[in-house]
Amino acid sequence: MRLELGNILINDVQFGDKTKVDNGTLYVNKEELVELISQDEKIKNVDVELARPGESVRITPVKDVIEPRVKVEGPGGIFPGVIAKVDTVGTGRTHVLKGAAVVTTGKVVGFQEGIVDMTGPGAEYTPFSKLNNVVLVCEPNDDLKQYEHEKALRMAGLKAAIYLGEAGKNVTPNEIKEYENLPLLKSVEKYPNLPKIAYVQMLQSQGLLHDTYVYGVDAKQTLSTLINPTEIMDGAIISGNCVSACDKNTTYHHLNNPIIHDLFEQHGKEINFVGMIITNENVYLADKERSSDWAAKLSEYLGVDGVVISQEGFGNPDTDLIMNCVKIEKKGIKTVIVTDEYAGRDGASQSLADADPLADAVVTGGNANEVIELPPMDKIIGYTEPVNSIAGGFDGSLKEDGSIVVELQAITGATNELGFNKLTAKGY
Amino acid sequence: MKTILITNNPLAQKKLSSKVETHFHDVDYTKVLKIARDYIHKGYRLLTHPLSGSVKPNETPYKSLIIQTREQTKIDMDSLLIIEQSLDTTKKFIDNMKTPQWNERIKEDFQTIDISLIESVLDRII
Repeated sequence: MRLELGNILINDVQFGDKTKVDNGTLYVNKEELVELISQDEKIKNVDVELARPGESVRITPVKDVIEPRVKVEGPGGIFPGVIAKVDTVGTGRTHVLKGAAVVTTGKVVGFQEGIVDMTGPGAEYTPFSKLNNVVLVCEPNDDLKQYEHEKALRMAGLKAAIYLGEAGKNVTPNEIKEYENLPLLKSVEKYPNLPKIAYVQMLQSQGLLHDTYVYGVDAKQTLSTLINPTEIMDGAIISGNCVSACDKNTTYHHLNNPIIHDLFEQHGKEINFVGMIITNENVYLADKERSSDWAAKLSEYLGVDGVVISQEGFGNPDTDLIMNCVKIEKKGIKTVIVTDEYAGRDGASQSLADADPLADAVVTGGNANEVIELPPMDKIIGYTEPVNSIAGGFDGSLKEDGSIVVELQAITGATNELGFNKLTAKGY
Repeated sequence: MKTILITNNPLAQKKLSSKVETHFHDVDYTKVLKIARDYIHKGYRLLTHPLSGSVKPNETPYKSLIIQTREQTKIDMDSLLIIEQSLDTTKKFIDNMKTPQWNERIKEDFQTIDISLIESVLDRII
């Protein structure tokens, strides 16, 4: 399966009469976009705001971040099974508005989380401060239940990303990158002397506000399975995960999964990246056993020498992470796990809720309990009042001058468990 | 086999007690885990993970979990290990920062999420 990603570099976003990309600037017809999102009768009111890198802007509570993409050649469309019809994606060419994003905000539930500061110390902890953001501020109908509200916001973000992505369809990309994975036997034949590596991605799948969708299927109803990494670049996996801002994988993270990119980068040089397995993180302990058994069986079947396992979330998934690690190690396959930590404010406490001596190669995305003070911003996009009820915040978090004292867990993407951030720890 | 839902979530008691034997306790999050641990020592096993949900133990006041009797009378060590690790983690979070006093609207949201996390399991085991 071979996919070309044509990156159209976006360095500014502006409102304009027509939605288009011109000389690196994304122009957005606000009226048209508002009209599109307002078609959903569950949404009472929607506003669109822009936030650029370096501006004194705080966006909160952030639900999802989505990169605009459009399919230019090849079967299917972006977000198959959700926006586009079900069709296998991951081949041909896809254009990407690189440097732009859709950000959704909204009060799905009373307690909140997800801060993106576009400047200041907080901006250093979130990759989304570096993007030209088109922010949807959605107000749902008064009687909308949490399930429907989350879905309405999720769909609004995806629709907006498709709408903006279309603007890149006929634009010549600034750069084209190629990603190809061969059928297993051919890949092994091509690089017989390189260690064979697979990637096991764990998907959040516990319930309301904790879901992930694969080709539109709720991941908690799936068994572990194989997927081509290029399918994910076309939006085969989307986020319905609104909890734990620092270490949830937004749709943007899935589209740009850095583990996939890094494995491709080393493919044919240091390693032979032969495939990818997705598995879930259910609440039912029997499901955990079943899914991790399956991940281990598939790893063995692929005949790999090593796997990278990434986690999403905290607590319950720690058990899945260790089960996956231990069962795969017991097949004689080396593992590296990618996680983050809740190690207390001083970083001295036990980091995970589960552990095993076989989990001896660990990459961490940082300590989510670390405390940070975010200075006031000139402008707030979204809703300010939930800050006192934000995860990682506490009574008195929001000071009179507008500054906030919070744990890193409140910042979107701060300790991302795909490594899409700057925090880590090194042991020597 | 006997299946029991242990909860401090009033909404779980209201909505789920017709589906499964529900033991409601008006106690805090930690105490729910301790009650479940005591059952495990009496021969029950855990069916759901005690730390279900990414909402943290010092964030949500509510916890529901499902346990079941086993044919063997020995203690299920896997369940015991998970519940003890979960108790350690809960203590770590609460020592770090206490659970806030939430308003009624937020409490209802936490109750709804707590139910959602175990409802899909319940439909499959009973």
